[in-house]
Amino acid sequence: MAKELVLSLDGQRFSVSFRKIDREQIYGSIEIEAFDERAIRQLLVLAADGKTLLDKGGTALATLDEKGNSVERNTLKAVNLEGEELPVVESSFSVRNDLEVAHVDDYLAQLVKSVYVLDPFEGGDIDYLLDHLASGLIYRFPFSYRGGTEYDNAFVIGNGSEAFMIIGKQAKFQYSMLNQAARLDSIEEEEISGDDLDFDLF
Amino acid sequence: MAINISNTKNRDAVVAFEAVVPKREVAFVDPKGKPVRTQKLLKTDIEHDLTALLKKKKDLNAVGKALVKDDPEIDLEHFGMTLTDTSRVYVSKKGIIHLVDEWEVLKNPDGETRERRQRQKQSQNINSDIPLRWSGKFIKKEDAAHKFIFTHKRQLIHVNGLTYDFLYEMAKELHERNSLMLLRGGEKGDQPIIMTRGAKPYNAFLEGRIDGDSYLLVLQLSNMELKRPPMSEPGAVATGSSTTKKSPAKTAKKK
Repeated sequence: MAKELVLSLDGQRFSVSFRKIDREQIYGSIEIEAFDERAIRQLLVLAADGKTLLDKGGTALATLDEKGNSVERNTLKAVNLEGEELPVVESSFSVRNDLEVAHVDDYLAQLVKSVYVLDPFEGGDIDYLLDHLASGLIYRFPFSYRGGTEYDNAFVIGNGSEAFMIIGKQAKFQYSMLNQAARLDSIEEEEISGDDLDFDLF
Repeated sequence: MAINISNTKNRDAVVAFEAVVPKREVAFVDPKGKPVRTQKLLKTDIEHDLTALLKKKKDLNAVGKALVKDDPEIDLEHFGMTLTDTSRVYVSKKGIIHLVDEWEVLKNPDGETRERRQRQKQSQNINSDIPLRWSGKFIKKEDAAHKFIFTHKRQLIHVNGLTYDFLYEMAKELHERNSLMLLRGGEKGDQPIIMTRGAKPYNAFLEGRIDGDSYLLVLQLSNMELKRPPMSEPGAVATGSSTTKKSPAKTAKKK
């Protein structure tokens, strides 16, 4: 069942539905198969003890206090950097979401979590929004899928006649001054995701 | 880690290359107001998961009865131990194997297999003898934002006074042009960047900003254009979840 998200621009309301998209849907994917001389082999995770092997789903995330004791997640409180308790935010599906014009620098400063393509909800009309996006404008609004402790940033951006919603978090950039030189180390970059198709956009 | 990069004059330098983390504005505290942390723990291993229990008990009913009667799914000695420094290993019935032959199975967006080929692991090219090059292709920020999804970011930072000037000038030029610069690797300067051996390639765009005497140089990495996938035409049932057709279970056909 499609979910309805209500956006508002210049006092006009638009109901949109959205669909998550990813790279595999556009370009396809690559799976790796590994063989030894006998048969295909399974890729597992080996714990630091050198003998415990686990598969997907073999791990859990625990919340621990300062002494290392487990803490129930439902007893936690969300606070800001000053230690003040934060109010619970509503799900973006239960409110009208007012679009504000965003600067491209803010958009480029996002660490992207997910990408959605937008369509009119149940045959509605979003031409007014599409026209504004076609002029190159980017819009933003605070977004929370289920509600909770904090919003993500949602950017609404167009390409051709399509509208997209990019969900992300603001990156922590730090401008560098002369006296703030970094130290080179030999630590290898960790691979940031799985295997993929080679492609050339140009 | 380090990155070897050249500027518009083809002068190159090795500078630092750092991950970018999200800005944190929310923290969680326990009922006493003290900070908490998360820790990855062992929940189950392959000797106690459902596959292993099914092998021992033959069917789900028998597994269910065993779970009611005893705790065959729990290893009290090990479960709950913290997991750090894990590795990924290939395993056969006899244990860990170190020599495998890897094949790539290329699939179309609809999940259909397009090609099988032996895996070629390409070397990283961000810190090699050949520096990453400015391609000369400036792309206005607005244009780039509407064409590509920048899925990852890395920040470039100087390591001494000389490289401060080197990077500041780059950032200044990009800032004044309000553009990103496409970076390329390899001898001919025609390859996307590869950060570790065998990792996937990314198109890398350098973004520069300055503020007085300070600068910000960000490598914006993209492996995806901003466009509607062919299987996601309007009219299809829209949901908030991914519609990627999951590939069928790996076929264990011997090559």
